[in-house]
Amino acid sequence: MARIELTHISKRFRKVIALRDINFQVEDMEFFVLFGPAGAGKTTILKIIAGIEFPDEGLIKINDEVVNLVEPAQRNVSMVFENYALYPHFTVYDNIASPMRSPRHKTDEATIRKEVRRVAEMLKIEHLLDRMPAQISNGQKQRVAIGRCLVRNPSVFLMDEPLAHLDAKLRHFMRAEMKGLQADFNTTTIYVTHDYMEALSLGDRIAVINKGEIEQIGSANEVYYTPANQFVARLFGEPEINIFGVDLIEKENRLKLKIPGYEHLFDLEPDVERMLLKYNVRELNLGIRGTCISYAFAKEDDDFIPGTVYSLEPIGNMSILIVDINGEYIRIVAPNDLDVELDSDIFVKFDLKKALFFDRASETFIARHNRVHYVSEAA
Amino acid sequence: MMNMKIRQLSLSALRNALLSLYALFALFPIFWMILITFKSDAEMYTTTFQFHPTLYNYKEVLLRTDYFKAFLDNIIVSSGAVLVSILVGVPAAYALARYKFKGKEDLAFTILSFRFAPEILVILPLFMIYQALGIYDTYFGLIWVYQLITMPLLIWVVRGYFEDINVEIEQAAQLDGYPWYTVFLKILLPLIKPGLVAAGLLAFIFAWNSFTFPLLLSGFRIETVTVASLKYIASDTVHYGQMAVAATVAALPEVILALLIQRHLVRGLSFGAVKG
Amino acid sequence: MAKLVLKNLYKRYPNKRNKEQNDFAVRNFSLECDDGEFVGILGPSGCGKTTTLRMIAGLEEITAGDIFICDARVNDLHPKDRRIGLAFEDYALYPPLNVYDNIAFNLRAKGVSETNIRAEIMRIAPLLKIDDLLGNRPVSLSGGQKQRVNIARAIIRKPQLLLLDEPLSHLDGKMRQVLRTEIKRLHKEINCTTIIVTHDQLEAMSLADRIAIMQDGQLQQYGTPLEVYNNPVNEFVAGFIGEPPMNILTVIITESEGRFFFTFQDNDFRIAVPEDYYPVVRSGMTVRLGIRPTDLLISPQEKGSAAVRVAVFENLGEECRVSIKAGEEFLTLTTTDEIRYRPGDIIRLEVKAGRTYLFDPVSGDRIWGESR
Repeated sequence: MARIELTHISKRFRKVIALRDINFQVEDMEFFVLFGPAGAGKTTILKIIAGIEFPDEGLIKINDEVVNLVEPAQRNVSMVFENYALYPHFTVYDNIASPMRSPRHKTDEATIRKEVRRVAEMLKIEHLLDRMPAQISNGQKQRVAIGRCLVRNPSVFLMDEPLAHLDAKLRHFMRAEMKGLQADFNTTTIYVTHDYMEALSLGDRIAVINKGEIEQIGSANEVYYTPANQFVARLFGEPEINIFGVDLIEKENRLKLKIPGYEHLFDLEPDVERMLLKYNVRELNLGIRGTCISYAFAKEDDDFIPGTVYSLEPIGNMSILIVDINGEYIRIVAPNDLDVELDSDIFVKFDLKKALFFDRASETFIARHNRVHYVSEAA
Repeated sequence: MMNMKIRQLSLSALRNALLSLYALFALFPIFWMILITFKSDAEMYTTTFQFHPTLYNYKEVLLRTDYFKAFLDNIIVSSGAVLVSILVGVPAAYALARYKFKGKEDLAFTILSFRFAPEILVILPLFMIYQALGIYDTYFGLIWVYQLITMPLLIWVVRGYFEDINVEIEQAAQLDGYPWYTVFLKILLPLIKPGLVAAGLLAFIFAWNSFTFPLLLSGFRIETVTVASLKYIASDTVHYGQMAVAATVAALPEVILALLIQRHLVRGLSFGAVKG
Repeated sequence: MAKLVLKNLYKRYPNKRNKEQNDFAVRNFSLECDDGEFVGILGPSGCGKTTTLRMIAGLEEITAGDIFICDARVNDLHPKDRRIGLAFEDYALYPPLNVYDNIAFNLRAKGVSETNIRAEIMRIAPLLKIDDLLGNRPVSLSGGQKQRVNIARAIIRKPQLLLLDEPLSHLDGKMRQVLRTEIKRLHKEINCTTIIVTHDQLEAMSLADRIAIMQDGQLQQYGTPLEVYNNPVNEFVAGFIGEPPMNILTVIITESEGRFFFTFQDNDFRIAVPEDYYPVVRSGMTVRLGIRPTDLLISPQEKGSAAVRVAVFENLGEECRVSIKAGEEFLTLTTTDEIRYRPGDIIRLEVKAGRTYLFDPVSGDRIWGESR
């Protein structure tokens, strides 16, 4: 049980900057997710907390105590490595028992036996205890690695992509399993992943990392509904969010939205309009997810923008309909039984209540309708 | 179906015949060597297999000369050299595998390059240095110079093994609460064991067989079997029978060692065996 | 443009350990692709799909069976005479040649005149959006661009059949999504009979007109994406198609007051058996029950639905997943309402009408209800 704090952490590997001014605080018992594309620096942050990498600058605090100079063994953290890092010459039992046999956490063999049984039961690996790591599957290895962490009470769990090497189906079930275990952990957890579903599902809060910098820290709702910038918006959701340029036109003292190539002006929600007026730019990017766009094959009103069907891709419980609107390809989620000729005419309508507005130059978030709703829910 | 079976059978027969032929070719010199240990000097040059077997050569070498002393000396310097190489070489190999420092690759290459130069090339300066230092014809001196033979081999093989072990296994052990020396002894050493055994054995064989160094850097108080074998070349005649006995006995420890650790040897020489 | 027919194809490899036995990479595989059709061969790795493709291309000897292209038997035809365009998983572009020369390479080998080559390349380069890259060397291209060039090289010879072997599996998620759409468009433009081999069900579903699902060298099912999704013939197909994967659990049929129920192993709750299945079930029978996460609904009513306890709730943005513990396993459902459930909450479950699948616990075959 512990509070972790990182202040102004920077690190470079030779000339490459791995981390630049990382600051965050993880509360006691929190499940904190570090999320970002490969090579963003997530694992490096985890290893710095563990004490097996050293920052060039900045302080690491565990329970308000600076631990920069504390040996990893003395920090009382435990870590699940991406490739599990099991000891190949030990049985599963000995692997799990290993922390309790170390001088730091010395325990008698009877207690060890009891504890190993307990975690093995919890992780459903009782039948594997006599096997060697080479004789078990990846999913089982991963559970052994988690087991090795669970046998003692560390102040913090560090998990580095524990599900990354599993196949899609197993990952789906292990994610639910992990979420179920979360209640039993009873410890601060920092979890690294590049899978947005894992991040949203598991994290109390999520830090989005890109190129060694934090783009946003927030709850699942915050990063999904009010992403700090276009980069964050693109990372969450499948199919990827549609982002394209739009213009703002002032007409009769009201701010209206204009989609390039279409003459109709769209009304904005009052709160969005206020924000945009305050922001005072005329060229924006609009972000809208495929689930927030409706379509029709005949023009119902002026809100429907004409386009042509570029592609239709059924993916099981739904189809991805790709519509070409003046050279912009818009991905729309459609029912799986939709049948439509490619290149036929179609009309789409954006649900502007759910749209995100970004600055075109800096690509940062400006506004969305009812923003407070998503942010306050987290607080 | 039938055709295929016949073809497979004849293929395997051919393979076995070729392998037997090679085995014969490879084993023949050893066989011949053992054969002449039982021949008297008079029958030495007959190539028929008819002769009067005698143990005279064995008696001559093992009882009348100080061959046993040479044998013991050889064991002391060779195992001493391998031991020193392991004690110094394993940490060095670890450092070369794990740490990043300036000139690392140059250093590693320099160590390897000790094996490049013919021994005869450096023997004269070495001889003079040894004389000046007073370590000429001592165990210490020989063990030291043998490092040129054993150390590069050991460092390069073991380094490869360390590189094959994922660094995260060490980090996991650290986080489990083990101090660095326990990590090294309990986690790393068992994982590099096959490589260490193989390299150690090869180093021992090279040291055991070494000739130039012991010939020129020792010879009075200390004598190795390779040098001792020279004695059977007298000014008038060469006692091939006695020489063959010396060679046969000298080969024994190598053969015994190799048989004892054969299991490790096969695994150790095929790299990448430590994947977890 | 051509019709492709595979008839009872077999591919045998001698078993290395046991010479008496044979391993079949492909067994009794039959398939028909219509002229201009886009067919996906889908299966887990090692199922024989790539071997099948290589037999069609002529790169692999056929143990038994026939292949017809345009009604002509091509078993003994040399690969180069089959008029097939092939794009492999890895791009295999010639590094010293630029994109233009890479695409032109095969045409030059055949002695096509430079003016014709230029015309052909100018025709297909825009289709694959590589017209700006023609002067570039392969090293300077991204993975997605390399695969486009690779495909361009396959179609430049105007093949009667285009074969794609895992063309997207080396690409990252985003590029894969884009190129998937491009391949679909390309197929419409050139209208060439195309076969794609993939292990990614999403790829096969989104691209192909019909999908052949393989396992252990055998064809499991051949049908349109919607057919295999809605009416899988066995447990393997049901579990392989669909994301999130179908819930497939072992249940026991119980009877009370003349009605049948699926009872889960730890007896916590039960779900009514649709009447459609009444003729084929009996009390005490063990079956594998399959329900897609999207077909499980949280029901507001009290009647006719099972009360269960939420074990896991996952907020994935607009779509959320709720998992219920059924014995050792999870039963997962997806929901798009804004309600955020917590573990321990009681919800009532309902299955969409006609969306319950039963499988034989031994053979894995589908047990069909009355309405079939």
